Amino acid sequence: MGFRRMDPQYIRNFSIIAHIDHGKSTLADQLLLKTGAITQREFHEQILDDLDVERERGITVKARTVAIPYKHTDGKTYELNLIDTPGHVDFHYEVNRSLAACEGALLLVDAFQGVQAQTVANAYAAIDVNLAIIPVVNKIDLPVTRVDEVLEEIESILGLDPYTALKVSAKKGINIDDVFHAIVDRVPPPSGKADNALQALVFDSKYDSFRGVITYIRVVEGTVRKGQQVQFMRGGTMHQVLDVGQFRPRMTPVESLGPGQVGFFLTGVKEIDKINVGDTVTDVARPAKKALPGYKKPKQMVFCGMYPTDSNDFEKLRDELQRLSLNDSSFSYFPETSDALGFGYRCGFLGMLHMEIVQQRLEKEQDVDLIQTAPNVTYELLLRNGDVFTIDNPQDVPDPSTIDEFREPIAKVSYILPKAYIGPIMQLCEERRGTYKTTEYMGSERAQLVYEMPLAEIVYDMYDKLKSVTSGYGTMDYEVIGFLPADLVKMDIMVKGEKVDALSTITHRSTSARRGRSLCKRLKEEITRHQFEIPIQAAIGGKVIARETISALRKNVTAKCYGGDITRKRKLLEKQKEGKKRMKQFGSVEIPQKAFLSVLSAGDE
Amino acid sequence: MTYRSVYVHVPFCRHRCGYCDFTLVAGRDDLIGDYLDALDLELKRVEGVVEIDTLFFGGGTPTHLPPEALRRLFEIVLSRFRLASGYEFSVEANPANLSLETVDVLAQAGVNRVSLGAQSFDSRSLAMLERDHRAEDIELAVRWLRRQGIANLSLDLIFGVPGQNLAEWRETIRRAIELQPPHVSAYGLTFEKGTAFWTRRQKGQLEQADEELERAMYAVAMEELPAARLVQYELSNYAHAGFECRHNAMYWSGEPFEAFGPGAARLIDGVRQTNHRSVFTWIKRLQSGESPVGETDPLTAEGRARELIFVGLRRTSGIDRRIFESRTSLSLDALAGGSIRRQTSLGLLEDTGTHIRLTREGRFVADSVIAEFL
Ligand SMILES: Nc1nc2c(ncn2[C@@H]2O[C@H](COP(=O)(O)OP(=O)(O)OP(=O)(O)O)[C@@H](O)[C@H]2O)c(=O)[nH]1
Ligand code: SF4
Ligand SMILES: [Mg+2]
Repeated sequence: MGFRRMDPQYIRNFSIIAHIDHGKSTLADQLLLKTGAITQREFHEQILDDLDVERERGITVKARTVAIPYKHTDGKTYELNLIDTPGHVDFHYEVNRSLAACEGALLLVDAFQGVQAQTVANAYAAIDVNLAIIPVVNKIDLPVTRVDEVLEEIESILGLDPYTALKVSAKKGINIDDVFHAIVDRVPPPSGKADNALQALVFDSKYDSFRGVITYIRVVEGTVRKGQQVQFMRGGTMHQVLDVGQFRPRMTPVESLGPGQVGFFLTGVKEIDKINVGDTVTDVARPAKKALPGYKKPKQMVFCGMYPTDSNDFEKLRDELQRLSLNDSSFSYFPETSDALGFGYRCGFLGMLHMEIVQQRLEKEQDVDLIQTAPNVTYELLLRNGDVFTIDNPQDVPDPSTIDEFREPIAKVSYILPKAYIGPIMQLCEERRGTYKTTEYMGSERAQLVYEMPLAEIVYDMYDKLKSVTSGYGTMDYEVIGFLPADLVKMDIMVKGEKVDALSTITHRSTSARRGRSLCKRLKEEITRHQFEIPIQAAIGGKVIARETISALRKNVTAKCYGGDITRKRKLLEKQKEGKKRMKQFGSVEIPQKAFLSVLSAGDE
Repeated sequence: MTYRSVYVHVPFCRHRCGYCDFTLVAGRDDLIGDYLDALDLELKRVEGVVEIDTLFFGGGTPTHLPPEALRRLFEIVLSRFRLASGYEFSVEANPANLSLETVDVLAQAGVNRVSLGAQSFDSRSLAMLERDHRAEDIELAVRWLRRQGIANLSLDLIFGVPGQNLAEWRETIRRAIELQPPHVSAYGLTFEKGTAFWTRRQKGQLEQADEELERAMYAVAMEELPAARLVQYELSNYAHAGFECRHNAMYWSGEPFEAFGPGAARLIDGVRQTNHRSVFTWIKRLQSGESPVGETDPLTAEGRARELIFVGLRRTSGIDRRIFESRTSLSLDALAGGSIRRQTSLGLLEDTGTHIRLTREGRFVADSVIAEFL
């Protein structure tokens, strides 16, 4: 049975949003199971998290859409278009995009953890676009819960009516019927008309080596059907629709998609640069008057260089970046060169987790071996001559004498944490050049603490620090609010007297000496000893501020080498040599891949 | 080129020393009969009686075999090979429990060179190495062997034993020299994966000798032994003129050789083969008529040439360009000119025009130099 010409009245589009790990994907599992969209036999936990990185890490990285046929108690069959969203702060952008394709949102709150930093951020995002919000207290099966307090938090912090909240267990399948009822009763149906001119929002895409580009759409007005000639309104390209389908959750062909429906179409296009997420698809024969609003471009927070370990792989890297960007439109990449690493790309990411995931997907899914440089944020420079420009690579810092103001991005950071940890977190924020803003108490136990801090002081490791200081209880959210001048300097690293541009960093002058020392120390650990001595120096504007020396090999000789040892020893040495291929030869020094990232972890101690 | 050298592996010891990763079964003397039968089967593959120049019995501890078994071992092997005049016939022996009777068996079989696993003259190091002989046993073994006419003796010594200091090592060398052996091997202790030492080091129960100390010990060997006319001719080997081990030298010049026994490696027609390393599997395979070979490693012409550099650099005389080129039909400089220049400029390699060889400094870090050429 297909979905023939769905009457929009029986369609419900909603996202599941929450703080990380509050049970979004598990609730999606239940909705799929209860409606029979997947059978018990096909079922495995968090079935929608199908990327390797997601299964490995147990988190959702990409939003997923599923169309579920649901037979309601009124006897009618509804089509529920569900979007499971990621909870991690780095992927907030995915949540915003998902919300733009919906009329409602299920806002999950963990019955024990209560409202957390991303609960607040995601709830406001849904309120901002006027969605019907259904608060859902999840995990009521936990041995210890604080349901009443959590309801209070929902009212006092989010301003939502606690009496409208559902209480469920996604894992145990408790009160899932309430969820279906609330969706049908409280999420408004989409408003479009099947006969209007076609307007469909492109919200994602993917490259499949057999089928070409798969375009994910939500139809707002009109109908898209097989055989139709369609046009991307911003991109300008025209294509014939070869196939139309829905995710149930597997890709399932249908005749057409009408207003409110969510699915995909294929055009056989193989060039991946043809599709832009946020574009509007319309009918060539009867084009819509104007395009849908689309999406605001995401703002990349951290940038790093990505270079193929083997310089012959540069073109492969380019192709793979392009392919991956089709499925993740939120990272940016521009070609750059480095004296040390050759040709590569400067890539921008939404955060550190995002960076790790893209790198992992490139290496695992796409099989390219990478050298990654330490990440940095964007800086703004006001020059003596009045020019203002931004840089996302420390190598681009001009001669200090030409700089009037060196500005860094500032973020508003809000922490939610048990009161007992306020002291230690405030201390940490002060150490990291934070400016205190406000404290708000949430019930008797917890508080929301707001600081303004340099992005560079939080984006790399503040989340980990927060978790360790608060024994895992603290959460944080941040957004960039502007740029402020600071006493920033570029620190260079010299290995055996030669500057390795890919190791340069921008730091605050007050911490530069400490960072320089710890960086030299880290590099000393990462670079194996050579046949000669290797001095490592950190310098600011040519002035050395820290130094370490890697001593030369002193003894390295296999004592015995007779008949049977020869093959064994040769293989061993060959293996070591193979390992060296994964290093970068810089002058006479071999620097392992990892060393370029070690700049990152050199801030502490 | 047909082989003129044969190695026979004898995989028995009383006890496995903590640092040892050789192919052997300790405390399983019940397998000696099966081993000898299997060896006989393996040797049946040799066609006719082959004349050879060097024959080497290693282990394990060949002299761990009871005299009758040892006698049978020699019979089995010598029924297949004829020793050419001026031959070298070596056996590795352990100073512990080397009986007069065993020495007799060696002499009667025609053994004319014995390599004694002395390892150390200080009792602390011997205990650490789990060797069950004392310094006196070494002296006694030397005396008995000489009395039976086996004067070409080598003493194996180990330095860098956990806990050993430089003075103790000097003393071991002094006492070794005092015995006036025409040949000494001095090995730095290595920690091999899978040994008890490896695990103990991993757990922090055993401390590997400091690199500077090991270096100093190696330096002492390279000074003291030559001062006693024991000239260094390979990274770990020292001998009076004319007493260099011909069998081992054969390995370093890349000549072909046959080998028998579990884990034994051969080089025939440019192909390296290693018998299965499990004593049990090796026996079983031969019993059921299967090949005992575990691994085969065919080398390309270039691979063979690189290997020749790798082994050739171990000899202090180094590599003679002309000989290298005539053996490999490849030019040393075309193959490795860059590496030669780099290592020479670092003072680790010496290029005389006709030869390349490690410098004294190069010997300390020989592996890092050799690795360049692979
Ligand atoms: N006890 C209990 N555990 C639950 C419940 N719902 C989810 N969990 C567990 O909570 C953890 C996180 O669940 P997910 O469904 O992956 O959470 P998520 O919100 O999708 O997480 P992200 O996508 O990473 O933001 C898993 O270990 C689930 O088994 C519930 O109702 N009760
Ligand atoms: S005596 Fe030699 S071969 Fe036997 S176990 Fe000890 S070190 Fe190994
Ligand atoms: Mg999830």
